[in-house]
Amino acid sequence: MSDAVFKVDEGSRVVLTGQWSLRAAGNHFAVLQQQLGPFFSQPKMLWDLTTIEQLDSAAAALLLTGWGGQLGERVLLRPEHAALFDSLQHAHSPRHAVDEAPLDEFAVHPGMLKSFVLHLADFITLTGLLTLEFLYLFRRPRDIPWKEISANVYKGGVLALPVTALVGGMIGVAMSYLMALQLRKFGADIFIVNILGLAIIRELGPILMSVLIAGRSGSAMTAQIGVMRVTEEIDALATMGVSRTLRLILPKVVALTLVAPLLLFWTSLWALIGGMVVAFFQLGIGFEFFIEHLPRVVKAANLVLATVKGFTFGLTVALIACHFGLRVQPNTESLSNSTTSSVVTSITVVILLDAFFAIATRSIGI
Amino acid sequence: MTADVTTPVCEVINVWTQFGNTVIHKNLSMQVNSGEVLALVGGSGSGKTTLLRHIVGLTQPTRGEIRLFGENLETLDRDGQKRVRNRFGMLFQQGALFSALSVFENIAFPLRELRQFDEATIHLLVMHKLALVELEPHHADLLPAQLSGGMIKRVGLARALSLEPELLVLDEPTAGLDPDRSENFVELIKDLRLQLGLTVIFVTHDLDTLTSLADRVAVLADQHIVASCTIDELGSMTHPFVCNFFNGVKERLERFNKPNELIKHGK
Repeated sequence: MSDAVFKVDEGSRVVLTGQWSLRAAGNHFAVLQQQLGPFFSQPKMLWDLTTIEQLDSAAAALLLTGWGGQLGERVLLRPEHAALFDSLQHAHSPRHAVDEAPLDEFAVHPGMLKSFVLHLADFITLTGLLTLEFLYLFRRPRDIPWKEISANVYKGGVLALPVTALVGGMIGVAMSYLMALQLRKFGADIFIVNILGLAIIRELGPILMSVLIAGRSGSAMTAQIGVMRVTEEIDALATMGVSRTLRLILPKVVALTLVAPLLLFWTSLWALIGGMVVAFFQLGIGFEFFIEHLPRVVKAANLVLATVKGFTFGLTVALIACHFGLRVQPNTESLSNSTTSSVVTSITVVILLDAFFAIATRSIGI
Repeated sequence: MTADVTTPVCEVINVWTQFGNTVIHKNLSMQVNSGEVLALVGGSGSGKTTLLRHIVGLTQPTRGEIRLFGENLETLDRDGQKRVRNRFGMLFQQGALFSALSVFENIAFPLRELRQFDEATIHLLVMHKLALVELEPHHADLLPAQLSGGMIKRVGLARALSLEPELLVLDEPTAGLDPDRSENFVELIKDLRLQLGLTVIFVTHDLDTLTSLADRVAVLADQHIVASCTIDELGSMTHPFVCNFFNGVKERLERFNKPNELIKHGK
């Protein structure tokens, strides 16, 4: 047993010896191909393969490619190797699969507008299905999936408490610190309460909460529904006569919509606490004063607005997450694309909605 | 590289496997020689798949040693591991095809990883492997999700064969195939074995597959190999699992040896 070697006799004959196979560890076919290159192009060269120790399909394919797919008279073979070349030649078919690797297919999107319209149509269908399920539940309240709703409230709400508190608090601290430095220059220390109160309750709280639930719960929902589609679990549900909209989508949407306003207040609360602590240390504004002054500068209408935003954003994130989950194709690439799209779309749509809210409610509560 | 012919392809030496307090394998030893087809059988949960995963180096036993081609995967460096891993191919129970890649790309994957072949050669080799497992060239463009169960197994086999392995490891090669297809698949493996001179280790629950494919049977029960012999010799064993098991085998063996009667009765 030895590695693949070849020698050239009298410039007109290439003799191959050794183990022409992948099993010989010392072989490197790219190097061999390069070395053989000049001889492949000489049409009068004779090829002697009769002294080869072992020939496998990989080496045979390499040689056959070099010869341009044809054996001809110039190749001397042992009969057992002839069969191998024969089967390789039969396998030779026009190259169609090589040029376009399937990974590229995922990168190339159909026209943006077309894909947007398709998404919109699917989204409207989903919303319609959900509405129908709600109507059904009005007639059959016994079928309300309490257990699933409760599980989703726990997963999307209760388990999200630490992270939302932490992020909210840190944002409050950062904002208050920045503002305190600016306000002190103008001697307008007291306005820290107005700024923090309005900015956090009206804008920052809802956006922060939405970004967090989109990243936390939205992505989880998309991935879960997606994998259930891939493993045919959704089909299994359907064959048992269980509506997938009722059992999978509805609990998620309901739970996240209910939980979002609560999470929103929780996040805002921690942001305010963070801001209050910094205001105390930086500007000497006491906690008691801060808490007393807050309701005077932030009108109750802002809380109503925040609640509406909470409901809307929660609903949006859940619907978008489910929408993308249901579009997952049975392959890993699609799963990762859908999850990414779900989070990115949720956050974008939430911010668009927030801008819309900001314009529509510009005269309320300020 | 020149492992001489007498080195066993795979040696399992005094292997213990323990998950928490559960002992899966207790002082288990076995050996697979070059060119033979070994069937690994045993009841559900007896640790067949675990043993297979140890052999291909996906998991390590708690104690003991596993040698592939005379080398212990655990002690080799990265390049050495890669070299040994390229010498065997594995067919997973569910196929384990890369779902984002087409059939062509799946089979081409190990060849591309080797970085020794140009596109034309890879194309030729992939088409050859497809023909080898009796699939049509136009199947090359399909995605795994578009394939039937039998086709997934074939593509998985083609992928396992793409680096011309010496050892083929099959986990339940015929599970989930209908009897007709499973018979075809077994014939295919038998053909390939003769053509390519393969050593095969496979796990199976299917007695038909076992009787028609295996040279030797290793029975895994009571946490170790209780029997390792030809199918005929199983009859003389006294271990309760083996006796029970052999009754099923005997029936099939009789049918297998008289294929004409099978056709009269069965179809």
